[in-house]
Amino acid sequence: MSGAILAARDLVVRRTSRSGSFELRVDSLDLEAGSVLAVLGPNGAGKSTLLRTLAGLESPSTGRVERRAQGPVTLVFQRPIAFAGNVAHNVDVALSGGNLSREQRRERVADALAHFDIAPLAARNAHTLSGGELRRLALARAFALRPAVWLLDEPFDDLDPAGQESLSLDLRRAIAGTNAAVAVVTHDRRRALLLSDRIAVLLAGRLAQQGAREEVLARPASVAVARLVGMENLVGGELVRSGAGDAGAFLVVDAQHRIPVGSEAVGDRAGGKWLAGIRPERLKVDVGRGEGVPIGKAVVRTVVSDGVAATVGVEWAGRELRTYLLAGRGLARSLAPGDSVTLSVRPEDVHLLAP
Amino acid sequence: MTELSLPLVLAVTARTLAVCGTALVVALVAGLPIGIWLGRRRFRGRVLGVSLVNSGMGAPPVVVGLLVSMLFWRSGPLGFLEWMYSPRAMVIAQVVIALPLVIGITLAAVGALDEDWELQARTLGIPRGRRLWLLLREIRLGVLAAVIAALGSILSEVGAVLAVGGNLEGETRVLTTSILMYTQMGQFELALALAAVLLGLTLVVAGALTVLQQGGRA
Repeated sequence: MSGAILAARDLVVRRTSRSGSFELRVDSLDLEAGSVLAVLGPNGAGKSTLLRTLAGLESPSTGRVERRAQGPVTLVFQRPIAFAGNVAHNVDVALSGGNLSREQRRERVADALAHFDIAPLAARNAHTLSGGELRRLALARAFALRPAVWLLDEPFDDLDPAGQESLSLDLRRAIAGTNAAVAVVTHDRRRALLLSDRIAVLLAGRLAQQGAREEVLARPASVAVARLVGMENLVGGELVRSGAGDAGAFLVVDAQHRIPVGSEAVGDRAGGKWLAGIRPERLKVDVGRGEGVPIGKAVVRTVVSDGVAATVGVEWAGRELRTYLLAGRGLARSLAPGDSVTLSVRPEDVHLLAP
Repeated sequence: MTELSLPLVLAVTARTLAVCGTALVVALVAGLPIGIWLGRRRFRGRVLGVSLVNSGMGAPPVVVGLLVSMLFWRSGPLGFLEWMYSPRAMVIAQVVIALPLVIGITLAAVGALDEDWELQARTLGIPRGRRLWLLLREIRLGVLAAVIAALGSILSEVGAVLAVGGNLEGETRVLTTSILMYTQMGQFELALALAAVLLGLTLVVAGALTVLQQGGRA
């Protein structure tokens, strides 16, 4: 891709530790200006190693990281580290490598502290900050550098939900005001999705998939990726063509249940055993609006609401499926365990996965 | 019978401070980088190095004096320098005593830092010299503890300076060797007076460093 300002090529990073050996292998990964890449993966998948290698803090065993950036490449660590001194000094010291005037540095520091809402803490001893404040300091310190590439390792770790919420908003604003290439590593999918427009999925040291956010969310490359990006409904069956003249197909689950599959997904796959992947937000409780194709009756088993969204567990064809509803309105309010509902799905929202 | 005159006391005290001060500076200049290096890098043989430092922290001064004497003895490997019984030999003996203390305390202070400390500084693009300055600032409590420990031990030791310096009047006679000498001569008033000077000096130096170390802390 032409817009890449940091590119990893044929990267292999080997690490041997007491707990065994580990190998990270990334053939090609690009960070583009003005784009936020979320690196998702379970613990131990190699996310931090990837970030450190991209930052130039670890050397790859083979392959290379190409820097085409006209500006700093900086990494904000999972465990933020403050230097001795006050908060303003901590930000200022990061600017000591550049050739800014004293006045410019003062402005940068004030601007960075304001961006991350810690201006009132400027004179505080950085070693006395709380976890959340320290995290904000670490982000402000990196932000003050005006990085061309900004690598964030678990920026929401150890924060309470309210702290995560406000920090992700501040971070979004800070990123939006720059043209930096950003990569954010996290195991918290929802936070990552709030920030990113591209997703890379790392599983056991391998890049399982990368692409535009919507693409990865809608069409995960494997069952493991599907689980990681929240495609929670996975139903197995045999793929059968709808009939002559129709490019679509049905995934036949059992005698009474079948799921329509869009022609794009079917391709030449008809005839085999497949898993149908349906994101919970794409599985609809049919209220007669004609959204999608009805796939039959289901029984509500659980309704759990956090006040914003309700997660509804339904039993369909002898298995548990999941769907989301807006909480506190209409259906979400009236649905109760034991209710019978009709489910529907649009064929193009069904993704086929090899079992 | 020797008279204790003020100029004599001042001269001995000044010589003591000159020898110990020089030895301290040399030990810091050499020991801080070694301590930082041993504290931050992981390499084969590091444990051996650290144990050597740790055992050196408790080395008996008189044994150090013996080894340095053998080095500078006329027939010794460095005998041609003719440093035996000179302040230079005393400085070297005291450096040998102070160095393990400086290294040991520095490496402990550095080891207590987050293992990503240096990477954090590097990824912010902080230049090398500035990083070292930040690091020293970070471990300043440890550095001052090293200074207090090193200065305390070389100010008060007598075995090494006596062995390599020889307590020559006007040349290598320092506070501790004078006290020892007057004690052996039975001139306890003189010994006590010089002991008071030495104790006062130790107190003032340690006190000043402690104020410096604890400054800025509640």
